[in-house]
Amino acid sequence: MKVFNILILSVLILLTNAKAQLKIVTTYPYIASITQEIVKDKAKVDFLAVGNLDPHFIVPKPSLAVKLRNADLLIINGAQLEIGWLPPLLDQANNAKIRPSASGFLDLSQYVRLIEKPENVSRAMGDVHPEGNPHFHLDPYNIPILSDVITTKLCKLEPENCSYYQENNKLFKSKWNEKLKQWNSALEKLKGTKVIEYHKLYDYFINRYGLVLSGTVEPLPGIPPTGKHLENLIEIIKTQNVKLIMQDVYHPLKPAQFLNQKTGIKYIVIPHDVGAVPEAKDIFSLFDEIVRRLTSE
Amino acid sequence: MKKYLITALLPIFTATASELDELKKQIQQQQEIIQQLQEKVKQLQEQQEVIQQTQEKLKNVDGRDPIEKVLSNPFSQAKFVPDISLILDTSFVSRNLTDDTYRQVNIPGFNHGLFDMHDGHGHMPYNAERGFNLNYAEMYVASTVDPYFDLVGVFHLSENDFEIEEAYFKTRSLPYNLAVKGGKFYSEFGRLNKFHHHVWDFADAPLIYSAVFGEHNLLEKGAQITWLAPTPFFLMLGAEAFQGDNENNFNRTGFTVNTKRDGSGDNVKISDTKKPNLYVLFIKPSFDIGNTSILTGVSYAFGKTRIDHLEDEDPHAFAGDTKILGFEFTAKHLLDSYRYLQLQGEYIYRKTDGSKFAYNNAGNLVTVPLEKKQGGFYVQGIYKFDQRWRVGLRYDLINKNDVIAEGKNQNFSDNLYRYSAMIDFLPSEFSRIRLQYNYDKSLFLGSERKTNHEIILQFNLAIGAHGAHGF
Repeated sequence: MKVFNILILSVLILLTNAKAQLKIVTTYPYIASITQEIVKDKAKVDFLAVGNLDPHFIVPKPSLAVKLRNADLLIINGAQLEIGWLPPLLDQANNAKIRPSASGFLDLSQYVRLIEKPENVSRAMGDVHPEGNPHFHLDPYNIPILSDVITTKLCKLEPENCSYYQENNKLFKSKWNEKLKQWNSALEKLKGTKVIEYHKLYDYFINRYGLVLSGTVEPLPGIPPTGKHLENLIEIIKTQNVKLIMQDVYHPLKPAQFLNQKTGIKYIVIPHDVGAVPEAKDIFSLFDEIVRRLTSE
Repeated sequence: MKKYLITALLPIFTATASELDELKKQIQQQQEIIQQLQEKVKQLQEQQEVIQQTQEKLKNVDGRDPIEKVLSNPFSQAKFVPDISLILDTSFVSRNLTDDTYRQVNIPGFNHGLFDMHDGHGHMPYNAERGFNLNYAEMYVASTVDPYFDLVGVFHLSENDFEIEEAYFKTRSLPYNLAVKGGKFYSEFGRLNKFHHHVWDFADAPLIYSAVFGEHNLLEKGAQITWLAPTPFFLMLGAEAFQGDNENNFNRTGFTVNTKRDGSGDNVKISDTKKPNLYVLFIKPSFDIGNTSILTGVSYAFGKTRIDHLEDEDPHAFAGDTKILGFEFTAKHLLDSYRYLQLQGEYIYRKTDGSKFAYNNAGNLVTVPLEKKQGGFYVQGIYKFDQRWRVGLRYDLINKNDVIAEGKNQNFSDNLYRYSAMIDFLPSEFSRIRLQYNYDKSLFLGSERKTNHEIILQFNLAIGAHGAHGF
């Protein structure tokens, strides 16, 4: 009987300990970084996808299901960016708390204004996102919106820590606004610059800072470039005086190098997420690095 | 002198400073007012837009009483349509064995041929004929039922047949990382068994799979429980109970055999098995080493066996029990977002024990003890070397084939093997064109080995909403 009591007691202690710290899992590292700024040491934050891989094509390894198994809150980018890899993991994790209908689930795309939402979709257009372009976090003005949303969610889940989270969020946002001023003035000179990107990854950034998108290296989303398409791009670069290729870290560099050889156009590798390049250690240094790389010449 | 000047000017300075403060405050207040006004203007504009849209709508319908012409569809459930997809698999086959020979050959000790035809129905193997084949058009329907269940239906449509390949529910909200599945579905036994043909790395199943389980793998009616253990690495444990449909191993239906071949003797009745008849247990750990994910597992299936081939030209039947053990190993090494190396292998061992019923030359029933101990493996390597290209090699071997009747080994070949090579091109995630070559030394016609060279050009395409595939 005594042994039984001790057993029950230890289980209870285990359970209360388990409840002590909220376990948050995010799909991408940038979300984890924002969340970390808000929760500090009050919660455990982990992410699923490594920042230097194509966010559309993450391999649903069983080890990722382990991360989801014990999570109290799952924060996703949404807008179908995770549609190719997250559903089988959720299915495998057997965790009722973080299903899309449960309280421990947050889809950030629901709270920002998405651009490029197609009126009609067909797979003949390649890998189109019917809800709009999902790479909204590359507009730095969207980051405080996301941090507000995450804070609100955390307040719902843990009312007792709410004021702490709100305070951290306030600090985060004021620090962010300071940074925004720096970035804005540094990027001022790029206004009107004509650019090409591999995939429609930087569109929110391009729109925010008044760059002009003249084309994409891939002819259709998810379809690798053909020789003919690259010929067309060379023509566009020459006639429209396109200045720059914004190259991501995960697509092959060859097409950009080819275009560079043919036209002399500059290409710069731009990180798109925390961990994409070693310098992008958190959400601040991610944008620092984007700005540094774009303005270093 | 200076001092005086400063003292004299001081009040003026302070006065201007306080005035400045006042001005600042006023400006701030005005700014706030402007902001409020801007917001109001915005709201009004939005309202105006809505009003205009409504007016336009009303204007667009000509007629005297436009309000009656505005269409409403208040009971539409279009947004609740489940995910529906159609998957087509069609191939062109070139093979040195004639279709006639191919229909007669068998893997000795395992089955009566690749075309498993009994009770008037049967399963054609994939890529059955030389030339063009329509392997299937598969219809997927899947959706969430409610907060508690998901539902999946897979309808296998071949040219003249409709088959419910899978139809199962799975729980969404059980506690303690548990999940329950029920209905008809592929067993979690082994690595390849649960995957549909359209995600296989080769156009056909490994030799040991088709030899042991037949053309449709282990597909059964029943229930499954899985549990994700709270270990620091991935560890899934599960158990399944099935009714027993697998013709080769776990058929549940008994039979009646007459003591005389011409039917003039007494009937001996072999009853049905207990139902459910088949149980499967599995344990699957997985962990990462750097960029390499490793998934292993052990599966065990056991149940009673009833084989009724009394209508055959050479009538015979079998009653006993079967145990199958499976080991699996998969390692996937990611090179980058689009390239990987994958090594996968499985070993399957089967032991069957029981009595065989057959007739001797005089037409009398003889019952002899029959024991089968059989095993084999496949190992395959896949290299995805480009966003759209993969190559693969596979080696199949059945190296244990002891069929012991009445204590006497039948001496079937225990060196049944096949080499396969494939290259596939993936124009997008929704289409695949694959070229495969098989060098097959597993087929026999009587006691004569028939070497089979095979080239398969496979087209596999999917349309509609189709859920992502797991690891």
